[in-house]
Amino acid sequence: MGSIRSLVKRKHRLVKAVDGVSFEIDEGELVGFIGPNGAGKTTTLKVLSGLLYPSSGAVSVLGYIPSERKTVYQKQFSLIMGQKNQLWWDLPAMESFILNKEIYEVPDRDFRETVGGLAELLEVEDILKVQVRKLSLGQRMKCELIAALIHSPKILFLDEPTIGLDVVMQKKMRDFIREYNRQKRATILLTSHYMDDVKELCKRVIIIDRGKILFDGDLLEIIERYADHKLLTVVFAKKIDEKKLVKIGELREYNFPRAVISVKRSAVSVAAAELLQEYPVADLNIEEERIEDIIREVFSGKEIA
Amino acid sequence: MKKYVAIFAVSWENEFVYRLNFVLWRFRNVVRLLLTFFLWKGLLTSNSNVFGYSKSEMFAYVFLVLLVQSLVLSAPSADNVGGEISSGDLSNYLVKPIDYLKYWFTRDLSSKILNLVFAGVEIFFLWILLKPDIGIVFRISSGVGFAIALGLAVVIYFFLNVTTKFVAFWMPENTWGITFLTLVLIEMLAGVIFPIDVMPVWLKTTVQFTPFPYLVYYPIAILLGKLSGWGLIRILLQSCAWMILMFFAAKLIWKRGLFNYQSEGR
Repeated sequence: MGSIRSLVKRKHRLVKAVDGVSFEIDEGELVGFIGPNGAGKTTTLKVLSGLLYPSSGAVSVLGYIPSERKTVYQKQFSLIMGQKNQLWWDLPAMESFILNKEIYEVPDRDFRETVGGLAELLEVEDILKVQVRKLSLGQRMKCELIAALIHSPKILFLDEPTIGLDVVMQKKMRDFIREYNRQKRATILLTSHYMDDVKELCKRVIIIDRGKILFDGDLLEIIERYADHKLLTVVFAKKIDEKKLVKIGELREYNFPRAVISVKRSAVSVAAAELLQEYPVADLNIEEERIEDIIREVFSGKEIA
Repeated sequence: MKKYVAIFAVSWENEFVYRLNFVLWRFRNVVRLLLTFFLWKGLLTSNSNVFGYSKSEMFAYVFLVLLVQSLVLSAPSADNVGGEISSGDLSNYLVKPIDYLKYWFTRDLSSKILNLVFAGVEIFFLWILLKPDIGIVFRISSGVGFAIALGLAVVIYFFLNVTTKFVAFWMPENTWGITFLTLVLIEMLAGVIFPIDVMPVWLKTTVQFTPFPYLVYYPIAILLGKLSGWGLIRILLQSCAWMILMFFAAKLIWKRGLFNYQSEGR
């Protein structure tokens, strides 16, 4: 019945994808944009690329309004989505590169240099003449990247640049992004699910959830600001009663001989002393909480100061 | 300009990837020609005259349909624009310094030229095979009128076609329905299967107020000398009007559509 009803009358619900997201990025910055699925990351990138018209508010990149889609602006940025292809599926990647060269009006010499340099760096020189459909995912992603960089953009919007890549390729991609940022003084805004991407690349992060910015600043600052607990990792010499440990702090895991206890910052020294005195401790480690966990906590609705 | 030359070149190359597809599409047109040819051949005796067409004029009409539709109705934009909007692939074009409509018009042109070459070859062989007795008088004015009408038809079809595909901006899931509807209307009302003179007068008159007969029927009727003088000029002017109308409709809906565009699919 429901499906018949929806054939006649469909209900629409207006959902705000981004709401009051406000930030500024300087030239040459490499900023990470993180948040859970559906947080509004990609939407923000789409607005910055001029694909979506913001229903309210103002957007300005390099002094241009993205949604006006001016050629001068379009020649200076590139939007790279890990799951969107622009290469011609049935033709060799080189054909798509040549087409982009003409579309962006890149001079012959620059084109040869860019393609040659990138192909060498990404180790794809021998596959540029192969039909794109016959390439592996990793090879194709590399070619997609080259296609997006033909016009040497000053700004990169990278949406999940490492999605679907194996660990080795992920690392290469990260190295590449870092190099591109350094060499060309390019401004890069990247989104990722992988904390490693962000940790390795970005000094500054913007955390967004349900369309709102939760945090904008130095990655390390997140720890100072939100991590009011530290982790004590204890290795015991003998088996002990699990229940007793609960008194010291929140027991995160206990797998003899190893236990992880979360303790309030202010109580860390007391807790450590207690552990050493009263239990057969073989090893003790005091660490900051993992950044993933802190961010997860931020997302799960902890009050933001 | 240079970028559109590059698009033409890549598109041309791409056409050759799906050789079998292309051959089958051409085959469909040849089968239709054979079907209508034998139908009229069976119905008409050498001196009969139906719907104002002599036997040789009807044969000429059947052959000209193959030529005209290769030029006017072959358009890869028809198969792709709707899909690109609903899948969000349109985003690839929107971020680049390129005009989406010009892009597809260029790609259509490359396909039309390829189809025209094939239509020429097909007509040559079918002519040898069927030996139609076609004896029509060719007048310069008809030839010029035909060329103009054909050019207008190409443009009308392009804008008509993309405008209907723009429905995808509002109803991404419904592109197939509207594609199919236009396809059927064109088959019936454009004069692809038979000249619209076959229709009852009231229908023929009504159809004139749709863009469809300007795509295939009128160019051929002009070449066959069915229209001349003021009648010819009137049809060319109406054709122009349709082109202008479809152009503005396409531009307007495109602009509105972009405001509504969600760039879905990530």
